[in-house]
Amino acid sequence: MGGQLQRIFYFHVPAAWAAYLAFAIVFLGSIAYLRTGARRWDLLAHSAAEIGVVFTTLVLITGPIWARPVWGTWWQWDARLTSSLVMWLTYVGYLLLRGLSSDPNRTGRLAAVVGILGFINVPIVHFSVQWWRTLHPQGPTPASLDQGSGLGSPELLAFFVSLAAFTLLFAWLMATRISLGRLNDRVDQLEMAS
Amino acid sequence: MSDIVWLFIAFLAVWVGLGIYLFSLGTRQKRLERRLEDIEPRS
Repeated sequence: MGGQLQRIFYFHVPAAWAAYLAFAIVFLGSIAYLRTGARRWDLLAHSAAEIGVVFTTLVLITGPIWARPVWGTWWQWDARLTSSLVMWLTYVGYLLLRGLSSDPNRTGRLAAVVGILGFINVPIVHFSVQWWRTLHPQGPTPASLDQGSGLGSPELLAFFVSLAAFTLLFAWLMATRISLGRLNDRVDQLEMAS
Repeated sequence: MSDIVWLFIAFLAVWVGLGIYLFSLGTRQKRLERRLEDIEPRS
């Protein structure tokens, strides 16, 4: 990576981080929902899945925009790109699944199973660049940062500011989406009661 | 195309993507508020 183009890294990687965070919340929320049956966990998982799909979409759009001038192609079926696409498809499937049944408990339980099983792919996406030979850059690890990863301190500072900004954006989107879900539940209850 | 153009396209894609999602959240919220207004005078 070099020149101006490497700056895509400042939003491509934080968007991937926000997606990982979202899918970890889907995983935990799904476990909690299956254990307790409480609607709040289902709403948490559903909201996180939707936002995770948004961030993964951004990753899958910005990645090829970087790859076209650097690799000379938009897409390569290598481990990182393919597993990322599978992750996106899994959670799009999770969201589509929620519209299949009118019984919220049945839908919630089914979605929770997908939310738990789908998370298996998340570590595969993350470690794919280490486990298999791929074209995708490895990205900085704590060990590579200690040895000097090629990122100077201004670049590292910009990266961590960007990471913090995406994390805050994720938290705000989660709060907004959860309050929308609560409003939806309230309207549904009032409609049933009237 | 120069690197800066590709960077601009990627930057634009991020903002457009987030903008579309925020717009969809806003639209859903307005629709729910309208449904709520329709129900509340009855209840």
